[in-house]
Amino acid sequence: MLTLEEAKKAVVEDFSMYDEWLDKYEYLIELGKNLEPYPEEDKTDDKLIKGCQSRVWLDSKVEEGKVFFKADSDAIITKGIISLLISVYSGRTPEEIADDDFGFISEIGLKENLSPTRANGLVSMIEKIKELARESIGSKASTDDVLTAEDAKTLAPLYDNVVLALKQVYDPEIPVNIYDLGLIYELIINKKHEAFIKMTFTAPTCPMADEVLAEVKASVADVPGITACEVELTFEPPWDQSMLSEEARLELGLD
Amino acid sequence: MRIQDIRKMFPALSQTVYGKPLVYFDNAATSQRPETVVRKMESLALGTNANIHRAVHKLAADATEEYESTRDAVKEYINAATREEIVFTSGTTASINLVAFSYGEVFVGEGDEIIVSEAEHHSNIVPWQMLCERKHATLKVLGVDDEGHLKTQELESLITERTKLVAVTHISNVLGIVNPVKDIVKVCHSKGCPVLVDGAQGIVHEEVDVQDLDCDFYAFSGHKIYAATGTGVLYGKKKWLDQMVPYQGGGEMIHSVSFSGTTYAPLPGKFEAGTQNINAVPTLKPAIEFLKLLRDSELVDGCKDVEDCLGRSFASLRMTRGIKVFGVPRGTEGKAPIYSFVVEGAHHEDLALILDKMGIAVRSGQMCAEPLMDRFGVTGMIRVSLAPYNTVEEVEYFAEALTKAINMLV
Repeated sequence: MLTLEEAKKAVVEDFSMYDEWLDKYEYLIELGKNLEPYPEEDKTDDKLIKGCQSRVWLDSKVEEGKVFFKADSDAIITKGIISLLISVYSGRTPEEIADDDFGFISEIGLKENLSPTRANGLVSMIEKIKELARESIGSKASTDDVLTAEDAKTLAPLYDNVVLALKQVYDPEIPVNIYDLGLIYELIINKKHEAFIKMTFTAPTCPMADEVLAEVKASVADVPGITACEVELTFEPPWDQSMLSEEARLELGLD
Repeated sequence: MRIQDIRKMFPALSQTVYGKPLVYFDNAATSQRPETVVRKMESLALGTNANIHRAVHKLAADATEEYESTRDAVKEYINAATREEIVFTSGTTASINLVAFSYGEVFVGEGDEIIVSEAEHHSNIVPWQMLCERKHATLKVLGVDDEGHLKTQELESLITERTKLVAVTHISNVLGIVNPVKDIVKVCHSKGCPVLVDGAQGIVHEEVDVQDLDCDFYAFSGHKIYAATGTGVLYGKKKWLDQMVPYQGGGEMIHSVSFSGTTYAPLPGKFEAGTQNINAVPTLKPAIEFLKLLRDSELVDGCKDVEDCLGRSFASLRMTRGIKVFGVPRGTEGKAPIYSFVVEGAHHEDLALILDKMGIAVRSGQMCAEPLMDRFGVTGMIRVSLAPYNTVEEVEYFAEALTKAINMLV
């Protein structure tokens, strides 16, 4: 996957191929027509972006710490524009999106060349994308909130139970659970009792990665009292044997 | 006089946009301004700039003369009975709000009714809704049929003894059909109910004679009839204006002020509180002179050719590209050159954006008439509205551009 800067550069380059504005519109129309279908049942008012002459729906989900967008519009050029934004910003971390200045929009001339009403629509789209990204940071950021003694008391057993749940998930190749293997780098439960897990695999090429991640998510989410679970995959730092727990070392006969 | 002679009077029309000659087809939103109007604005701002009515110095006297002679010009142009019946406002919206408040305060109470039509601009709906909310009155709606005609035959039965006012547009800003306001007024008056006419578009395309129409109020804006923005007129029959309470309190609208009570100035000052738009209102004079020029028969024929050309283009696009035009007149019914349409499979905003890039200014969206959009089951339309400076060549270019835009989208 391209980095955010690379993706923006690619869009600017694509647009620079067209001198005529009608050709740029042809390109946006094409993008709009090829945008992944958006479910009719998700065309609800809370997904509708205000400030556009046409109707635009934008929705997001967070998976493994990345924000993914889907969108639709009843006007095809607008749909092309939102498709362009999604192609650049989907799959980025919330921080990357929230901190970005979206300056490449003016580089491709979209902002100046769209009428003020339309430009407002574009501004609203960008605001909504940022808002959705910030919301997903927000839910994480609340982990930093100061916990009262009362909070700590209710959270403590939840941590124990989540650890127990993680111990039920086994590495597909090694007969040791992922917790004792040291694959869990971070475990945070916020005041809303949402669990955030940062984890790794013994090797970046693990063929069962998706299944394991899904299993982690499902078993943690099943813990009574836990309201949601997000799992983020990282290979920084890379895993090595020193991360094994005492029990795991015994189990594997390493000592 | 020919269309080309008119064009020369409008410096704005010779500009290019995106490197293409400007084709300005958004005249129902605001017209361009002729040089005479712009020169007037300039001389008022650079020369005759003083506050009116009060001071005794020369400049104030000149400014007052400019302002008050405009009242006479407007009175004469719409054939009001007296100059006191002409109130200057900031535009049609302000005129209607003035009536909704000042008439509403006196004549509308709990359980009373106001009637508006389904084809109204938001400016002739919302002030009445606000009044009804304030007074616990009811807003009733006169519908339009599938072709966009007011269901005037239903009006008589809609009016009850609780109906205090009927507010109706002379020409809908979407449909362009000239409503039979004279007949509407007759029906309403036979039931003892006064009528306000929203003349924002009517004043542009009709020769308005308020005594002939016999309407009780007629509201319009200056900027759609080539005068400066921020100017507007409320015509009201003296018998109503006399009974109405002031809308805003302040300078100029008073007779005498003391802390035990204030008496109000006579008409029309009673409704013109505070410093008026003194550098803009007098532009209505050259604007009215310009409107009179437009009655030239050669020019009228020329404009008719342009409208016919557009009509033929729409007819052919209806067959080949699935265009639907709203507001089709029947028989001898008048139709102002305001054409709103939708294209099957193409969003109005996309069409307007592409046309814009070809240098053509049209309006797209709900056009401040959301109830009418709902009536026809669309989220918006495209509107082309012509002025006497638009040419056959522009219309032909527009038809080509529209075909190209549709081909890109559908």
